[in-house]
Amino acid sequence: MELLLDFVIVGVSIGIVYGLVALGISLIFSGLDIVHFAHGEFYMIGSFLGIAVILFTGAPYFWALIGAMIISGVLGVVVERVFYRRLTRGGGGYTVAGMGMIICGFGMSVALQNVAYLLWGAAPHPYPVGFGMPIFLGNIALPKSYFYILICALVLMTVLHTFLTRTKLGLAVRAVAYNKDTSYLMGVNVPVMISLIFGVACAMAAAAGVLIGPINYVQIEMGYLMLLKAFAAAVVGGFGSLPGALLGGIVVGLFETLCAGYLIASYKDIYAFLLLIVVLMVRPTGLLGILVKVKA
Amino acid sequence: MMAEPAASLRFVDSVERGLARLRAIHPLMPWVIAALVLAPLPWVLVNTYHVYLANFICLMILLSVGLNIVKGFCGQVTVGHVGLYAIGAYTAAVMSVNFGTPFWISLPIAVGVTLLAGMVVGIPSFRLEGAYLALVTLGLGESVRLFISATEYLGATNGFSGVPAPRIGEFRFDTYQKYYFLVMPVMLLGVFFSFQILRSRLGRAFMAVREDPVAAAASGVNVRRHKMIAFMISAAYAGFAGALYAHMIPGYLNPRNFTVIEMVTLLLMVVLGGLGHIWGGIIGAIVVTIVYDITKDYYHYSLLMFGMVIVLTVLFMPKGIGGIIDRFIATRRFIAIRERQAEAARDEAD
Repeated sequence: MELLLDFVIVGVSIGIVYGLVALGISLIFSGLDIVHFAHGEFYMIGSFLGIAVILFTGAPYFWALIGAMIISGVLGVVVERVFYRRLTRGGGGYTVAGMGMIICGFGMSVALQNVAYLLWGAAPHPYPVGFGMPIFLGNIALPKSYFYILICALVLMTVLHTFLTRTKLGLAVRAVAYNKDTSYLMGVNVPVMISLIFGVACAMAAAAGVLIGPINYVQIEMGYLMLLKAFAAAVVGGFGSLPGALLGGIVVGLFETLCAGYLIASYKDIYAFLLLIVVLMVRPTGLLGILVKVKA
Repeated sequence: MMAEPAASLRFVDSVERGLARLRAIHPLMPWVIAALVLAPLPWVLVNTYHVYLANFICLMILLSVGLNIVKGFCGQVTVGHVGLYAIGAYTAAVMSVNFGTPFWISLPIAVGVTLLAGMVVGIPSFRLEGAYLALVTLGLGESVRLFISATEYLGATNGFSGVPAPRIGEFRFDTYQKYYFLVMPVMLLGVFFSFQILRSRLGRAFMAVREDPVAAAASGVNVRRHKMIAFMISAAYAGFAGALYAHMIPGYLNPRNFTVIEMVTLLLMVVLGGLGHIWGGIIGAIVVTIVYDITKDYYHYSLLMFGMVIVLTVLFMPKGIGGIIDRFIATRRFIAIRERQAEAARDEAD
């Protein structure tokens, strides 16, 4: 029973991290109708940037989190402006622009991975923070970082949700996500909003990277698996739905941790894909998804 | 006086006239010539490493031609092709090491298993398209690699070694020079079949599915069946390439040879050569493998280079090298026609 509780706490916190990355993917999808294949790399680079901020400025963990988010957000805007803008100009159908975007994202992802390799090397980096003794719940020792993940992620989600629903800028972002042409006619600066969406999404990925840093080592190859799991989370929750991304993340995290705990542990990374494939085949709209965009 | 056409156009015209003359002798004549030209390569390339490279290019051509059929011609975005390649390679290896079957039996079995796996990859394409399909195929491809690296029976991360070289009687294909005569004919056959398929009714149906599934269905193309056929054909190519790769010396397989990086390289071949161009996979495989080999000293930067080349190719030449060549020839033809017309007008004025 205690083992189960341990698995649940670990699964939920890991799942919330998946949810944060899935949130960015979902945001980009709802805003631009494209799937960003290089998102895992922003997560990885954000994690490294957190280390860099801590080492260079000696700032505490939470400032590193915010610093990494800002730098990654700016990086995301730059990448979008320089590379993706040409492709999304057409509006974003699936066949031509979509295929181009997928291939382009793939290329960008390996390029960013190589940049990270040149900057930080291939060895796994430990996170230079200590949270002190783990918390004891009965006989289970839980590192404090799991609780930090829960708190930080929930705060970030609340801030994002408030931003999207309560502010004028957030309304503009949602208008762009709903219909670009109409919002253009209503005086929304669509290109700036698209850049903003990219920046926020990449900042979320970086936050996930910094949050997971103290649990896992940080290394340049961690982007791919995270990308696939975050996709699984986004699909399970329903593509394009923000609460769905969080819920999907928790479902994927729990499923994966429980399967690894009670079935074969070495196949841990496969379970998320199985869930992804089953959900896509059985219920492509996901748990909370309402709209599935299909080419006419 | 007739205006002299540009040198490049004269070259293209003479090549085409030559091909037409060969086809007039026998439709298969150009292929026989190609085989004869490629056959002495092991003696021309003195260095064994270069012969190995030629073998590798042949395998890559098989893979990228297969990928181009499903991706470029049928328009289904699949990024799990390396998973099929791995399935082909490991099936052949397990059959010949653990069950002791000779290469000539394990090859068809590997191709058959890969065909079945291709069907499994193809089923999601009925309901999903675009990014969703890319995700599922990426997930399947990665799952294959993760499964292999976590399964002791398949050697896990240590790799699977001791795959014997193929043999006919006492003749063993145990050097790269000998193996070339196994790989090259298979590659030529693969390219030949891809040309036959893509220029037939089947190929046109694939293109119809790519351009607009609804319109294709309205014109009497069974969309589901053609998607499935495209996936199966490309899987068969991957199976052949995988089995040949497994039996090539040193007969050693490692899951690290089937990562996303290999997938990106494969993607680069198809994209750079030209998605949906009949020569795309071939041009891409040759160019990318040779460039990769030349820049081997800078392997730290290779992924950065590959990634940026993919991005820039998609942005600035979406039809790849093949498309550029096509456009160049078309432009030259156009200029030549215009010149001829201008000349005729001048003659008339005189």
